[in-house]
Amino acid sequence: MATSDSSSSPSSSSSGTEFADPNPSTDPETNSERVQSQLESMNLSQPSEVSDGSTRTDYSGGDDQDEVASANGNEGGVINGGLVHEVVAGASGGEEIDASLRAENPVEMEAGEEPPSPTSSGYDGERGSSGGATSTYKADDASEDEIREANVDGDTASQHEAAWLPGKRHVDEDDASISWRKRKKHFFILSNSGKPIYSRYGDEHKLAGFSATLQAIISFVENGGDRVNLVKAGKHQVVFLVKGPIYLVCISCTDETYEYLRGQLDLLYGQMILILTKSIDRCFEKNAKFDMTPLLGGTEAVFSSLVHSFSWNPATFLHAYTCLPLPYALRQATGTVLQEICASGVLFSLLLCKHKVVSLAGAQKASLHPDDLLLLSNFVMSSESFRTSESFSPICLPRYNSQAFLHAYVHFFDDDTYVILLTTRSDAFHHLKDCRIRLEAVLLKSNILSVVQRSIAEGGMRVEDLPIDRRRRSSTTDQGQDTVGPEVSVGTGGPFGIWHFMYRSIYLDQYISSELSPPVTSHRQQKSLFRAYQKLYASMHDKGLGPHKTQYRRDENYTLLCWVTPDFELYAAFDPLADKAMAIKTCNQVCQRVKDVENEVFLQGASPFSW
Amino acid sequence: MPSRRRTLLKVIILGDSGVGKTSLMNQYVNKKFSNQYKATIGADFLTKEVQFEDRLFTLQIWDTAGQERFQSLGVAFYRGADCCVLVYDVNSMKSFDNLNNWREEFLIQASPSDPENFPFVLIGNKVDVDGGNSRVVSEKKAKAWCASKGNIPYFETSAKEGTNVEEAFQCIAKNALKSGEEEELYLPDTIDVGTSNQQRSTGCEC
Repeated sequence: MATSDSSSSPSSSSSGTEFADPNPSTDPETNSERVQSQLESMNLSQPSEVSDGSTRTDYSGGDDQDEVASANGNEGGVINGGLVHEVVAGASGGEEIDASLRAENPVEMEAGEEPPSPTSSGYDGERGSSGGATSTYKADDASEDEIREANVDGDTASQHEAAWLPGKRHVDEDDASISWRKRKKHFFILSNSGKPIYSRYGDEHKLAGFSATLQAIISFVENGGDRVNLVKAGKHQVVFLVKGPIYLVCISCTDETYEYLRGQLDLLYGQMILILTKSIDRCFEKNAKFDMTPLLGGTEAVFSSLVHSFSWNPATFLHAYTCLPLPYALRQATGTVLQEICASGVLFSLLLCKHKVVSLAGAQKASLHPDDLLLLSNFVMSSESFRTSESFSPICLPRYNSQAFLHAYVHFFDDDTYVILLTTRSDAFHHLKDCRIRLEAVLLKSNILSVVQRSIAEGGMRVEDLPIDRRRRSSTTDQGQDTVGPEVSVGTGGPFGIWHFMYRSIYLDQYISSELSPPVTSHRQQKSLFRAYQKLYASMHDKGLGPHKTQYRRDENYTLLCWVTPDFELYAAFDPLADKAMAIKTCNQVCQRVKDVENEVFLQGASPFSW
Repeated sequence: MPSRRRTLLKVIILGDSGVGKTSLMNQYVNKKFSNQYKATIGADFLTKEVQFEDRLFTLQIWDTAGQERFQSLGVAFYRGADCCVLVYDVNSMKSFDNLNNWREEFLIQASPSDPENFPFVLIGNKVDVDGGNSRVVSEKKAKAWCASKGNIPYFETSAKEGTNVEEAFQCIAKNALKSGEEEELYLPDTIDVGTSNQQRSTGCEC
């Protein structure tokens, strides 16, 4: 793993309560450069490796470390590929096809090369209804793509998050479309007979041939008693996840870690289970040609919204939830009502504001996994119909019980704030409605809804507000170390060049993330920061490398600091020129600040939430 | 739901190597024919949208390799097929004799829920060759075989000239559709309070 500078123990002087320089003696930059160049040289050997190892498998243990590490080494976000298709197509035929493809297209895997002509083998995926267009990829195509991507993502601060609308994009595309091939990240769900269930881009039916190809690869490897987890092709990673009769595939050149991409497929599967339960497995047992798409009718926005959240919602990789900052007393008051509701035979009662928790409660011994909470709020937020009236809908919490439905009562108090009451009883609608009326009365009486609205408007913690003033900075810092970092970072971010932080409380299963502030403002910048965090998270939690406590990493975009203790995890991003000692000091201050306000930013003393 | 429900049908094409499976498919999907023989490796996948009785559906056609060395792919490829098309060359007795093997192999590997009534379609291809003079399998013989296997529909085609190809695939689509018609209601369990705790302990993944 490209861990540039990490240590398995905190510095000798501290006992874990103070964050000290993890590695004061070595220069992290030289170290990381060395690792970087190593990785780059590994990448050079990738193409040929992939072409003869297209059915190569990785076991989910530590064996794929190399793969992931080299993925990390891929720099730059521009794709000019579209070659995944050929790679994938070549795989399903087994070794014979590999030989023929190698002979005919020796440099097939090089990104930016022309794909093999449709007539060069019996195996191209380009014929069929999709028209057999021979597409050539040139370098300048990539820049066009960049421009279009920018338009899609929205490159201005005002556009992020709010401008994104759920729903399926580019339905007219199929696997022969150049634009489809250039999409940076594809998600597919298909059945083990090769019938398409979901595709992020393009029309599922037009992609039936592509879907069949994916099934052929997976089943072919399965037939040999093996499993395909990851195929690398140049900058593209093809990640596979098999869940019984359901196959999930991600094709990405986003340079995210294998672990996180796999985690995204897991969540995608969970979202499907939330809508249908695992009873779908039985449908396939009874009837292998079972077509699932009609059952998922109308849920495209749910999936696209989840996929979108992979690039902005830290809950998708931290596996924790976040609360809306609120005065302690108000959250407690809300919690008391929710607890009473649960006492009346309701399994879970939640008051949420967008994807943030206002308060929640569970019946005795019932606990809600943060991933279930993520999938539940995504489902409710992205389904328009919940907003129009009070609803009662079957829902499955995959981590709670993936086999069966619960019943969810959903009601929106305003555009952002809504209550979800979950019960096992299908006849409980009227009871739940009464519960909601009781809750609403309390919310109105104590004015909670307007406090909630104010909290949304004000936002959460900001790095600019960190209690380190300039006087202190210039007077108390020692050895003049502040002369570089702070001067450079004036006007951007918080003190000493801190740009952003995330603090995850391990016992509470909750995290708090600072608001985005300059210079990280656009959706694109946010995405890039989150991807840096994801890598940091993956490297800190890599089982093969043993537990790490601290990590300091610097590249041309950020200085990243991570600190893991038994109680919390802190992730912080600084200006790349930030001073290391000051950055560490700032992290300590962030932790102190979070502790100072923990009663407002975390839900304390909720019903037992950990497992 | 905004649009009418669409159906996807998985169609497997089987038969000895060189009988014209790929040519039939190319003629049907792309309206093209090439005299040059290229062996299919593993399988080819094509899709075609078809309208049938004002319903739109998609044929997902699995054109498999006829060579014996690919037979191990069977299970993976045949799973969940809606229709199986058997192809032989009317000028080759061996390709006709092998139909029994192909059919049985398919039924074993795909293990459809109702093997007796699984929809097959038989195609005798290359009727154009040598003006029909080199033909060794008579239509009568082929029809007798079809009758003995539960009245499999039979078509004689020329992938080269496009004769009867469209008709054959129309029939394939119709039969595949028929077999997919009866679908039950989707009724998963709901948690009942008594069992939820017990199930939870096994379902917990963390």
